[in-house]
Amino acid sequence: MNRRASGTAALIAVAALTLAGCTGGDAGSGGDGAPIVVGSVNTISGPATFPEASLAAAAVFDAFNEAGGLDGRTIDYKTLDDKGDPATATASARELVGSDGAVALVGSASLIECEINAKYYEQEGILSMPGIGVDTGCFASDNISPANVGPFNDMTLTLQYGSEVLGLDDICILLEIAGSTRPTYQAAIDKWTEITGKEPKYVDDTVPYGASDYTPYIVKARDQGCKALAINPVEPDAIGQVKAANAQGWDDVTWLYLTSVYSENFADAIDNAGAGIYVPAEFYPFTDDDEINADWRELMEANDIPLTSFSQGGYLAAKYFIEVLEGIDGDITRESVSEALKSMEPIENPMVGTPYAFGTQNTAGWPIILKSGTNAWEKVADDWLRIGE
Amino acid sequence: MLQGAIAGLAAGGLYAVLGVCLTLMSRLVRVVNFAQAATGMFGAFTAVWFVREIRLPIWLGSVLGVLVAGLLAAAIGFIAATWLSEASTTTRSAMTVGPLLLLISMSFILFGNKPQPFTPIIAGPAFSFGGVVISQVTVATVAMAIVTAIVVRIVLRRTRVGTQLRALSERPTTAELLGIRSRPLSIAVWFVTGVISAIAIMIVAPSQSNDATSLAMLIVPAAAAALLGGFRRLDLAVVGGVVLGVLGGLVAQIDEVALVRNFLPFLFIVVLLLWTQRKEVWDAAR
Repeated sequence: MNRRASGTAALIAVAALTLAGCTGGDAGSGGDGAPIVVGSVNTISGPATFPEASLAAAAVFDAFNEAGGLDGRTIDYKTLDDKGDPATATASARELVGSDGAVALVGSASLIECEINAKYYEQEGILSMPGIGVDTGCFASDNISPANVGPFNDMTLTLQYGSEVLGLDDICILLEIAGSTRPTYQAAIDKWTEITGKEPKYVDDTVPYGASDYTPYIVKARDQGCKALAINPVEPDAIGQVKAANAQGWDDVTWLYLTSVYSENFADAIDNAGAGIYVPAEFYPFTDDDEINADWRELMEANDIPLTSFSQGGYLAAKYFIEVLEGIDGDITRESVSEALKSMEPIENPMVGTPYAFGTQNTAGWPIILKSGTNAWEKVADDWLRIGE
Repeated sequence: MLQGAIAGLAAGGLYAVLGVCLTLMSRLVRVVNFAQAATGMFGAFTAVWFVREIRLPIWLGSVLGVLVAGLLAAAIGFIAATWLSEASTTTRSAMTVGPLLLLISMSFILFGNKPQPFTPIIAGPAFSFGGVVISQVTVATVAMAIVTAIVVRIVLRRTRVGTQLRALSERPTTAELLGIRSRPLSIAVWFVTGVISAIAIMIVAPSQSNDATSLAMLIVPAAAAALLGGFRRLDLAVVGGVVLGVLGGLVAQIDEVALVRNFLPFLFIVVLLLWTQRKEVWDAAR
C-alpha cells in the first residue's frame, strides 16, 4: 500500500517537474528558433462582437510563418476572448503578457480592453497595436496605437463631410454612450466646431445601445428640424434607426454614420436610405474591387474571413508589425520590439490615408455613400478626406 | 410631445399582442411563457432564411416561418403537457427559461450574430393628421392586439372549444373526468400563441433592431403589459402594452428623464406590484 502510494507520488512529482520544465522553456521566448509570442485581446462573444480583426491578423501571421517566418522563427499568435467583460479582459491581458510572455499585442479589437489594460501595459513596458481601437483608452495611452481611425476622429470626419462637402445645415448629433466615452465624443464635436465654425442643432446623448425601437428619438429629431443626423451606433441599432425614419415617412434626412455600419450586410438590410447614408470609411473602400485591396481580399477569401473594415484593420496591424519586426537587429524581446515600434519610420500603405507610425493618430477617411434602392456602397470621392482640410 | 407619444404606439401594439399571448397562456395552460417572444423571433429568422437562402417568395417564406414558430411552441407545450402536467405554475414557467436561452443560442449558431435583412411586409406611414404621422406598423400592431383580444374572448365565451378550455383552466381534474382531452387542447393553445407572436414580430422586426437578443427580450415589456391585467384580463393586457409604449415614446422626448426609458418596463412592474399589494398587511403580503 505504502509503496504504491509513494510510487504514485513519485510519478506525479516527475510529471510536475517535466511540465514545469516545458513551460519554463516557452515563457522566455528568447531562445534561438523558439516561436515569437504575439497576443491579442478581443471581444469575440457578448453584446457587441469584433471577431474579424484578430482572424485577419492570424491569417497574415500564418502566411508569414509558411513563407519561412523571421529567419526560421515563427510567430505564435495567441487570441483571447474577453467577452466584453472587464474581469475577463484584465485576466486575458495578464495571461498573454505575464504567463505567455508575449513581446507585443497586435490586431486586438475589443469593446473595453484598452481602457482597462492601458495601465498594466505601461507597467510591463509592452506595446499594443489594436487592429480596431474602440474605446477611449485606445486613443489616450502612450502604449496603445490602433491601426484604425477610431470612432472619435471618425465622428469629426463625418460631421466635417456633412457640413463642408454636402453643405448641410441643421445637423443633429445622436450619441450612444458606452462607458466613459461621452467627453471624448464632445471633444470630437468641438474639434469640428473649431475647424468649421458650425455647431450642432442639438446633441442627444441618451440614445441607448440595443434599444428595440428608435422611433421616439427619430421623431424628436425631426420635430426639432434636423436635416441630417450624425450618429455613432453599432450595426443593428443603425438599421433600426433608418427603418424607424422610413416608417415615419421621413425621406429627406441625410445620415452621417461611422465606419461601424460599413458592411455588405448593412447595405442588404437597407432599402430606403433617405437622402443617403454617408460614411467616412476608415480604410480604402473594400466594396470597390480595386488593386489597392487585392492582397487583403485574396488572403481574407482564402481563409473565409468576412470582408469588413474590421478585417482590414487586423490585416494592417499585422503587416505593420511584421515590417517592424524584420527591421530589428539582434534579439527579439519585449524590450527590443517596444523600442523598434517607438522609433519606427512611418509606413505608407494605400489602404490608409495617414502613414502608420506608433503613437500617431490616423485622421483620414474615404467618403462613401449608400443610396436608396441600390443595396450597395459607392465611393463619392477621389481622395481621402482629412480632418481640417 | 404628441408625436413622440404616437411614435411609441407601434412598440406598444407589439407589447400588447405579446401581453395578450402571455395572459392567454397563463389563464388556459397555467404557465408564464418566457420563451414567448423567442419562438416568434426564431420563426421570423427562419422566414428570412427561407427567403434569402432558398429563394422562396416572401409570402411563402413568411408562412413557413410562422408555422415553424407555431410548431416550436407546440413542442415546448408537449413537454409541459406530458411531463409537467401535474407541476405547479412556477415549475412550468421556470421550464420555459430553457427554450428561451436555447432559441437565442440556436439562432446565433444558425443565423449568425448580425441583424437580419428583413424585407418589410408592411412599411411606411399610413396616414397623418395635424402633422402627426402614424405608421402602418403602428396601425397593424395595435389592430392586431385588439382583434386578438376580442377573438380570444369570443372563442372562450361562445364556442364549444372555448367552454372546454375554460373548464380545463378552472377545474382541470373535473374536466378530464368529464372526458375533455386536456393534452391536445393545451398543445393547441401553445401552437396558436406561437403563431400569433411570430406574426407580430415579423410585422415589427423590419422596422426596429432585430438581432436575436433584442427580439427575444421583448418578453420583459410584454410581461409588464400582462401584469396590468394580472395575467387574467385580456383587455387590460392590451391597455398595459399600449400605455407602456406611449410612456416610452413620451419619456424619450424629455431629456431629463430620457435615461429612464431603458428601465421603464421594470418601473412599470414595480409600481404595479406595489399598487396591487397596497391593501395587504405585511404578514399576508410576505
